[in-house]
Amino acid sequence: MQLKIGSKLMLSGLVITVLLLISIYLHLTSGSYAMSLGEIFRTLFGWSDDRKLELVIFQFRLPRIIVGALVGAGLGIAGAVMQGITRNGLADPGILGINAGAGTAIVIYIFFFQGMIQSESIGGWLAVLMMPIFGFVGGLLVALLIFAFSWRQGTLDMQRLILTGIALGTGFGALSLYISLKMNANDFEMATVWTTGSIYNANWIYIYAMLPWVIILSAILYRKSYLLNYFQLSDDSVRSLGIRNEREKVVLLLASIGLVSACVSVSGGIAFVGLIAPHISRRLVGNDYRYNMPISALAGMVLLVFSDYIAKTVFAPAELAVGIVVSIIGVPYFLFLLARANRGG
Amino acid sequence: MYQGTKNRIAWLVLLTAPLTGALVVLISVLYGVKDMPVSTIWDAIFHYDAQNVDHTILLTARLPRALAALLVGAFLAIAGTIMQGITRNYLASPSIMGVNDGSALVITMCMVLAPGLSDHMMIIYSMAGSALGAGIVFGFASLLKNGMAPVQLAIIGTVIGTFLSGIAAAFASYYQVSQHISIWYNARMDGVDVHMLKLAVPIGLVGLVLAMSVSKSVTVMALGEEVAAGLGQKTVYIKLISMLSVVCLTGTAVALVGKIAFVGLVVPHITRFLIGVDYRLLIPCAAVIGGIFLCLSDVISRFINAPFETPIGVVTAFIGVPFFLYLIWRKGGKQYAA
Repeated sequence: MQLKIGSKLMLSGLVITVLLLISIYLHLTSGSYAMSLGEIFRTLFGWSDDRKLELVIFQFRLPRIIVGALVGAGLGIAGAVMQGITRNGLADPGILGINAGAGTAIVIYIFFFQGMIQSESIGGWLAVLMMPIFGFVGGLLVALLIFAFSWRQGTLDMQRLILTGIALGTGFGALSLYISLKMNANDFEMATVWTTGSIYNANWIYIYAMLPWVIILSAILYRKSYLLNYFQLSDDSVRSLGIRNEREKVVLLLASIGLVSACVSVSGGIAFVGLIAPHISRRLVGNDYRYNMPISALAGMVLLVFSDYIAKTVFAPAELAVGIVVSIIGVPYFLFLLARANRGG
Repeated sequence: MYQGTKNRIAWLVLLTAPLTGALVVLISVLYGVKDMPVSTIWDAIFHYDAQNVDHTILLTARLPRALAALLVGAFLAIAGTIMQGITRNYLASPSIMGVNDGSALVITMCMVLAPGLSDHMMIIYSMAGSALGAGIVFGFASLLKNGMAPVQLAIIGTVIGTFLSGIAAAFASYYQVSQHISIWYNARMDGVDVHMLKLAVPIGLVGLVLAMSVSKSVTVMALGEEVAAGLGQKTVYIKLISMLSVVCLTGTAVALVGKIAFVGLVVPHITRFLIGVDYRLLIPCAAVIGGIFLCLSDVISRFINAPFETPIGVVTAFIGVPFFLYLIWRKGGKQYAA
């Protein structure tokens, strides 16, 4: 059965949205404080006056789900853009070390403004809102380093790109670990959360801090998504179409690094979402990035909210870092892609 | 440099090894939270007084720690050297090829499922884990057409390593032993088990003997597998012995102090630069340099964030990552031609 791209898009959008709603439902209802669907609806719309329910939903579960969805969408979009620009299906902000770079910059920032962030004043708010900007500087630095190391004779060597990313990721991970131990030498577990990624301490301030970035940058990237289709052609063909090749690539790359930084400043470095989501979306709606990108964002949301649900419940009352769950799901998929890419030549 | 000069350097390294080894151990023992005068060390060794706190610290904490760093550094360096030789891959090393992660996973499972395991069994399981990690990585790589190319193999190894340590982390948090286990991920050198240290010496010797027994053949293998086969080498047999040695050495190292990255990658390169490609000399020299490298890294790890200790992996990563990047930048995707 051949479906037109429009109906394909509608259908996959619908299916993924349903999956997302199911994940959100699972995430909302399960936990150490069980509640029914009716209770949740009544609380969400303010018809219930059960203070306990209100506290659990509005202060704990809802922020966590929203952060998970935002981070998933951001990483999904950023992954699609990076795969499009590098023309490499294995590119992912986590594997390329962008996460780790942004994470290090944010840890350094927290190191200097620790007191302010913990305070409840206006200054504390501002300090949290500034975090994504610092993350951006770190992510940018890593991106520049990666390009410097993998640029050979005017082209990017793809394998070297990935390996350099892995190496830089390890290095910056070690640096974050070092700095966060300098902050609080006893809190070793907290330090490692930064390198694996977790959203269990999500709150509304984090959402306000990342929301504008996610909205603005996603909009910019979506508007430019048609360009990614041209980038699949050779550089010469792109230029002959009258597209300012390098300039547009830089803009796209900067916007996606910004998006990743906003996510990392809230969740720490979660790898593999940016890898898997674009591939799922490619399977569903094909290679056209105008359709691929929104579906990729939705797939990222589902992936992260569902992984976080697993992280929260499988080993309850203990919590796993969501980054660990994502990497256990993500690695076999990565290897599968690698094997298939190799068979193709 | 001519091979003659390189040989002379090799013998110099080997002959002065006891001296330099003793020196770094002395440095490691002297400096810590509580600085010790040299005379105390002398007394502690020759007139041990069980009532004296300094003596106890020296013999039960400082000395085992220094010796463990020396041994583990040597083990990992030998393992890295052999792996780089037989795979002809300049990025091969226990940490990049998932061997470390396999060990750490199995140890985690042991601590969870069978707590109170004896030290012997712990080391044996750790070796089994090394074999598992190496088996998965090399097995998967050999299924791919281009899987053994350096960069490709390194990507596969790193990613599978992430996977194995993810499972280990999940295991640890499920049984809520995270705190205890995190020592194995991030290798903090405090609290080295003296009994296990004593066990590690003979096993390490076995690994070294195995490595040395194939060293001549590995030199030939490094020229290329076809060349080696043409010269009458039994390549399968050599690979098997080499992997056995790697598994022995890495397994013991992880059981002793946990996962330490980059030693097995960096040290063989430094040694090869100094000594050349004769593995009969390369392997023992790498052991010496590796031991010294890790022992000094351990001393640094106590100082960069004094009075708190930094995981030693952070120190080796600070040294190893720039070196790793340099290697990728210089050599790219080509196979390492010895």
